[in-house]
Parts: sequence; C-alpha cells; structure tokens
Amino acid sequence: MSDNANTGGGAKVAPPDPWDPLVRISHWTIAAAVIINGLLSKPGGTVHVWVGWIAMSVLAIRLGWGLLGPREARFSAFPPDPKAAVSHLLSVIRGKPREYPSHNPAGAMMVYALWAMLAVVIATGLIMTDAKSPITIAEERAAVEQGDWSSLANRSAGDDSDDSLAQSDIVKGVHETAANLMLILALIHVAGVAVESHALRRNLVRPMIKGPPK
Amino acid sequence: MTNRPEARRQGRSQTIALAAFMLMQAVAAVFFVADATRDLFEKPPGAHSIIEALIAVTLVAGIFLAGWQLRLTLERMYAQEKALDTARGDFIRIIDTQFDDWGLTPAEREVGLLALKGLDISEIARLRGAAQGTVRAQMTRIYAKAGVSGRAQFAAWFVEDLLGDGIGRPDDAA
Repeated sequence: MSDNANTGGGAKVAPPDPWDPLVRISHWTIAAAVIINGLLSKPGGTVHVWVGWIAMSVLAIRLGWGLLGPREARFSAFPPDPKAAVSHLLSVIRGKPREYPSHNPAGAMMVYALWAMLAVVIATGLIMTDAKSPITIAEERAAVEQGDWSSLANRSAGDDSDDSLAQSDIVKGVHETAANLMLILALIHVAGVAVESHALRRNLVRPMIKGPPK
Repeated sequence: MTNRPEARRQGRSQTIALAAFMLMQAVAAVFFVADATRDLFEKPPGAHSIIEALIAVTLVAGIFLAGWQLRLTLERMYAQEKALDTARGDFIRIIDTQFDDWGLTPAEREVGLLALKGLDISEIARLRGAAQGTVRAQMTRIYAKAGVSGRAQFAAWFVEDLLGDGIGRPDDAA
C-alpha cells in the first residue's frame, strides 16, 4: 500500500507527512537535551544528570515506538543500508533526490548513528554517576553540605586503586568523546536537512514541528 | 466539508496529548523503576519493595497500552482520511461517467456539476460569466438529456445511486 506512494513520478507523489506526535515530541526533547547537556549545563551537575535521565526515558520510548508505532516511525521503514545512503547522497548532488515515505536512506544512517551515540553517552553517564538518579544525587549533596559525609563512605570503601581510577578516566573520556561526536553529527544532520529541503524545494522542518500539512 | 478541519484539529490535539502523556509516563517510569531496582538489590526484598516492583510493572504496562492506543488512533485517523478521499474521488468518477452517458457538452457538464453542488442559477451565471438565461437554458437541456423533471430529481438521481446497491450503470439510465 505504501509502495505505490513513491513509485509514481515527481509531482504526482504527495509530499509525505510522516511524523506522528510522538516522533515529533521525542525528536525535539532529545534535541533540547543534547543542546542543554552538550553546551549549557555543568557536567556532573544535578541539571546535567536530570536532563540525561529524561533523554534516557525519551530514547527508550522512541525505540519502543520503532517497534510499536505507525509505519513511518517503525525501524522497518528506514532500515540501515549504507549502500542506499550513498546512492541517495549522489542523487542529492545530482539534484534529483527521490521522495521517501519515512527517513531517506542517508537520514536513516544518521538517525542510527545519533541514537547509538546517545546510548553511549547515557550509558557512560550512568557508570560515572553510579546509576544514581538525580534525586538521590541532590539528596546526597544536600546531606554532605550539612556535614553528613556518610554517603561518601561507600565510595571510599570500594577500592580506590589505580585500576578503577584509570577505568573511570576511560569512561569519562568515552563520555566526552561520544558527546562531542554527537554534537558534530547533529550539525551534519541539520546541514543535511537544509540541503535536502533545498533539493526537494520543500521545507522538511515544518512537518517535524507541525505534523501533517493541510 | 466545513467541519472537517475542525475534526482533524481535534484528532490532532488528542494524539499530541496522548504522546506527551506517554513521554511523561516514561520519565516517571524510568525514575521509579530505577528506584525500585535499587531498593530490590540493596535491601532484602520485603513487602515494600514488592509493592514497588508491582507499581513499576504496572506503570510500564500502562505506557505500552497508551502507545498501543496512540497507534490505533493514528491509524484510524489515517484510514478515515483515506476513505473520505476515496469516496470523494469515486463520487466524482460516478458523476463523470453519468455525464458521459447523457452526452453532456463541456459547458453543460460544468453547469451540471455546479448545480449538483447546490448553487442556484444566478450564482452559476456569475461564476461562469454567463447570462442567467443561458444557464437556465443549459439546465433545461441537462434535465432533458437526463430525463428528469427538475433539479430535485436531477440531484436525487446521484444520491439514489449512492444509497442503492451500486453505482450508476449505463443500462439503467437508458
């Protein structure tokens, strides 16, 4: 049924309006989270951890939606296919990109890359904070400020050997590298949307904000 | 047709609300599940942690149900949209076939379609930039070709087809 939507020629294809509310809200929530935690919030601060946890739940929901959601939101609508991605990029350069009902193949690769980076950043973040929720962290900090240092006891009780210190350095390095990589990917993503919008002569951002036209 | 955008907007804000609710639930669930897991591992399981685990499971199940509901709503909206388009497209096709069958001229077709849409003679005349007398004469010719006595029967011709068990077959008209 969806196949004949994109086999017709050029103008006959109705511009796809694929983004359901959940895709839109999760997209912008994660975009905001990346900007806040990548550029604005203090690393390790309560806000930083809060935003990370919210991003984690939104990512979880979005991945679930990739199995449960409407056709365009499902992973099957945009399988990872590097070959198709390259040929799509070539067609964009030639100025004749095809319309796709969901992400185009290059966009699909970008989506998976961003999700993977996000997952790495979240996982390493959880390791660094000992998977403590921001609420726990805030409580502990308040306690320490009041002179109760017992929450620090656990940490020093565990072996603070060179090994675990080196390990935490690695985790921190991965966290920061993946975060920077994600910011770079996000920039490429924005540039890609701009180029594709220009090539299709159609604003691709609008459906992500307002949903279906008309 | 006038209340369609209204209905669509309503359906849309409904789905947005549902999606936003789902995400809020997810944030809540992640915190709660993390807390419950922590309790479960740090203390020996007691009534408290069992209840907490139960709540966590219910919360997650609720998210899946909300997601399922959202998907159904979206699919229903999509199907309605499609059905409406199909019906509209089919109706136009039926009218076209019938007009062919009656052998209406292009001008008569346009006048006939406007008449079916419920425009009166003066409006049709204004739209087509023709004299009212011309339109009236065209209408008379249309009625004659269709073999009906007037506008009411003319309109009823098509509605009857929609209500009956099928679309206007050429032999029926003869």
